[in-house]
Amino acid sequence: MTVAASPAAPARPRKPRPSRVLILGLVAVAATTAWAGWEIGFTLGPLLENFSNGWVVVEQFLHPNWSYLGNAWTAWLETISIAVVASFFGVAVGLVFAYMASRVTNRSTPLYRATKWFLAVLRSLPDVAYVLIFVALVGVGSLAGILALFIFNIGIAAKLTAETIDAVDQGPLEAADASGAGTFARARWAVQPQILPNFLSYALYIFELNIRSSVVIGYAGGGGIGQLIQVQFARFNFENVSAIVISMFVVVLLIDQLSQHLRRRLV
Amino acid sequence: MNAASTASETRTVRPEEPGKARATIGAIALVVVVLAGGFLSNADWGKLPDIFTEGGKYFSLMLKGLVQNPFSEPYSEYWSAALGGMLESISMAWIGTMIGAVLSIPMGFLAARNVSHPVVVQVTRVILNAIRTLPELVFAIILLLPIFGFGPNAGALALGIGAVGTLGKLTAEALEGIDPGPVEAARAAGAPGSAILRWTYWSQVLPEVLAFWLYRFEINIRASAILGIIGAGGIGSVLSQAFRYREWDFIGILLFVIIVVTVLVDAVSGAVRHRIIAGSGVSDTKVEQDAATL
Repeated sequence: MTVAASPAAPARPRKPRPSRVLILGLVAVAATTAWAGWEIGFTLGPLLENFSNGWVVVEQFLHPNWSYLGNAWTAWLETISIAVVASFFGVAVGLVFAYMASRVTNRSTPLYRATKWFLAVLRSLPDVAYVLIFVALVGVGSLAGILALFIFNIGIAAKLTAETIDAVDQGPLEAADASGAGTFARARWAVQPQILPNFLSYALYIFELNIRSSVVIGYAGGGGIGQLIQVQFARFNFENVSAIVISMFVVVLLIDQLSQHLRRRLV
Repeated sequence: MNAASTASETRTVRPEEPGKARATIGAIALVVVVLAGGFLSNADWGKLPDIFTEGGKYFSLMLKGLVQNPFSEPYSEYWSAALGGMLESISMAWIGTMIGAVLSIPMGFLAARNVSHPVVVQVTRVILNAIRTLPELVFAIILLLPIFGFGPNAGALALGIGAVGTLGKLTAEALEGIDPGPVEAARAAGAPGSAILRWTYWSQVLPEVLAFWLYRFEINIRASAILGIIGAGGIGSVLSQAFRYREWDFIGILLFVIIVVTVLVDAVSGAVRHRIIAGSGVSDTKVEQDAATL
């Protein structure tokens, strides 16, 4: 009688042992972190020791020289112009590469593979490397910035758009095939209408990115607002740098809002 | 006769083509803006042909550096400088990602509407947005170089601060998208607040968040090269110095190392990301799309 009651209350299942993969993974992560920290000499010590050094600079940053913005607006115009030209041509060329980098629109396997490889190489270099290359080729100035961003934008635009093309609705493609459309007609009339809203939204996103990277571009010699920051920073005019950084904050925020508004209407 | 007339009546008229006026106006406006941009950017367009005349020459010089015996002087030095710089860049990126990841966990919880008080959410979101607006370079210039001096340590911290902005936002969005069922169950069972956060919220978002961290690591490798030009160490510093002295054979080796290592790290990290996501309920494409805005 009493024997029947005890099996009815099941024993609490045993707690699973921690998986070996997880432990190995955590050990690997900890080891990598320790090694990387040692490699770069990671320390937070200066935060306490040299805080007064930093505080002098921060204090200057807290008193921005607003009158300097009168000189800065031409540099802003230059930065925005650079971004407009580079994103326009970058996404236009990127669209062509996107068609070549998707199996939906490119039915030649060797060409598809070659395009994928080319784009991976293009994307692996940071924008600053392109600026340095073009500064060496055409000299310091906004032309180098435009060319660098142009190349950089091709990579991003092609990747994002190619992924959208991969996910396109098959119906129009079948219809185009059934009516005997060639590769170009297929891409133009069966694919492009479907990806156009996404593509335009990527174009706006890339424009935003280009405004954000203007500091880097200018620092490396590509013209625009970044060049102004570099010059003022080298002269230790932190009040002026502070005014520019705050104006950058406002401009980026405004452009983000504008482009988000447009993108919401598009997609 | 009767049949013919009904046939002509039922034949539908071809619909009028929709107007193209809006598209045309848009296209014209775009062309005007681009032309204005080309003019206002003060670009010296006359130098454009230089790319083709000079470009070929420099490219062959770069290739020449690559095909030399890597164990002969001075190429052995070039190769070891390039690999050492890349290793430093990867370390910066890794430490930056770790700092960003650790700090983004509390920020993410504070910025999630279904976890925190609305006022806290708003304040945290403003901070995260402010961080995301400014590029890492600005943090490095303002705060880190005066305190930490030039070097990879300042660079890693700048990458870490930059990562908090994006990772915090994505973590918060992932937390807002969880299934409320387990939360209710834990609450009904009388679990304390910390246990609810750990075992219902965190468990559900962990795969997605891990994928974001890896994605951010890939981005940080590129960003660490950028920080190099202001003297924050890594391969960027080596690269900008090589450009200053126009050592094209060295530049060729450096670019080659950057391309190969970045492609390799992207491939490994991408494979791990797909593996992590494959086991969770979240769709792969959704994570990719969210992470694309990193």
